[in-house]
Amino acid sequence: MDARLRRVNKEIADCKNDKASNIKIDLVDSSPFHLKGSFPGPKDTPYEGGVFEVDIVVPESYPFQAVKMKFITKVYHPNISSASGAICLDILKDAWSPVLTLKSTLISLQSLLCSPEPNDPQDAEVAKHYMTSKKSFEETARYWTHIYAGGLGSKGKVDTKEAAKDEIAIAGLEQTHVTQFEGLGFERSKVIDVLRRMNYRGSNAANISDERIIDELLK
Amino acid sequence: MVQQTAFLSGYPILLDDMEMKDLPRAQLYAMNQASIRSSIPSEQPLMSEPAPISTLRAEYENGSSSFVAQIDDLVRQGFTSIIRTRGDGDCFYRSLAFAYIEQLIRAEEPELAVVTALSGLESQKEKLMKDAGFQEIVYDLPYGVFTDLIKRIISQSGDLLTSAGLLETFQDSEAPQYIVMYLRLLTSAQIRTAPEEFEEFIMHPDTGMKMTVTEFCENFVDPMGKEADHVQITALSRALQVRIHIAYLDGHSPDGKVKFVEFDQAPDSRSEPLLLLYRPGHYDIIDKNGV
Repeated sequence: MDARLRRVNKEIADCKNDKASNIKIDLVDSSPFHLKGSFPGPKDTPYEGGVFEVDIVVPESYPFQAVKMKFITKVYHPNISSASGAICLDILKDAWSPVLTLKSTLISLQSLLCSPEPNDPQDAEVAKHYMTSKKSFEETARYWTHIYAGGLGSKGKVDTKEAAKDEIAIAGLEQTHVTQFEGLGFERSKVIDVLRRMNYRGSNAANISDERIIDELLK
Repeated sequence: MVQQTAFLSGYPILLDDMEMKDLPRAQLYAMNQASIRSSIPSEQPLMSEPAPISTLRAEYENGSSSFVAQIDDLVRQGFTSIIRTRGDGDCFYRSLAFAYIEQLIRAEEPELAVVTALSGLESQKEKLMKDAGFQEIVYDLPYGVFTDLIKRIISQSGDLLTSAGLLETFQDSEAPQYIVMYLRLLTSAQIRTAPEEFEEFIMHPDTGMKMTVTEFCENFVDPMGKEADHVQITALSRALQVRIHIAYLDGHSPDGKVKFVEFDQAPDSRSEPLLLLYRPGHYDIIDKNGV
């Protein structure tokens, strides 16, 4: 008897039959222990309109130990690593219990998108952005949803000016700030990197002197 | 005391001009205990063979006399053996499950005992699980593992469950994990469906802060490895319809007697209680019939 296999198969079937929840679980290959989950971004959040994919690994000792999940889709959120998709959520760690299922865990991820916890961040830079200016954070998160999670349709050809703007929006920065330092002769990608790390956004921009930024740019 | 603590933390400091005989008695005792412990494999089996209760006494003979007095009191009351369980936070549920099934195996009329137990489990499942908000997908598998094992007590097809077979099952298979999970679900469901009876007693076990019934169940009943206390034991006694009597071996009894704490939430109070032994932070099974 492989109880883990029986439970996971039931969970996958259960999710297929439940048309109401919008949560999907699909096989990645032939193994039922490596799966891909997906769900729509919640309404009235910057993630609305996107579809978010999650890599799921069911460990040997499931359901006694937590399922492993990380975002495949890039997400701009304080509790999700913008680089790796790693998730900071208690039920994926020590608050796991066998009462939770793949579907209920995916629903918890969906609600994590509704309620960021910037005080317990997975991505410190994103959390800083959120704390500095929620409005600016939401613009960036919406932009990420648009380009990484959105049904944008076919990607048309992008002119270089447009692509450059993208890079700035992805970093959650302002065009004028970037061009200001670019004008001093620094490479655009370097400017973006430094301004992002220093959280040069909203009211925080006034706290950072141009000298400090130039020092960083010269490093 | 400071020295003893320092030693127990694993960093003994023996000054150059000191010899063993110069050490305080307490420290010698601590060293002795530590050497006993280090000779035992760190992973205790989930469930050990029954051992004479004298082995428990031997553990304390060089230590606390009040523990020894309480163990002698257990012997006077007719207890002969102890079945140890691994101290992994699931020991209460695992011990209770084992004692519960063992009691069915030993029943004078096993057929009747098993049928009664199964119908009780079935009706409690129907009564509690859905109302508690648990999904069938979560509880039907552990329920199946638990009841399949019980059915084997009266099996006619060659896989009859004996006491020895029960011990073997609890030593190495995934069954005990699922059974522990099911008892946790039952406990949780009982608390969640009768919150008014429990909320007064519910608090965070470490901080003593008030918590809601749901928070308590999600954090201290549902997850594996979380120890059981009065609230959980009361709830499980009721949900599983069993009497649970626990001998508290705490070394604090002025007259050397063992205090039994009795959880008698079963409707049929004539049934024999399941007997466990509690030492601070850990549960084992004690028995009058073994070894």
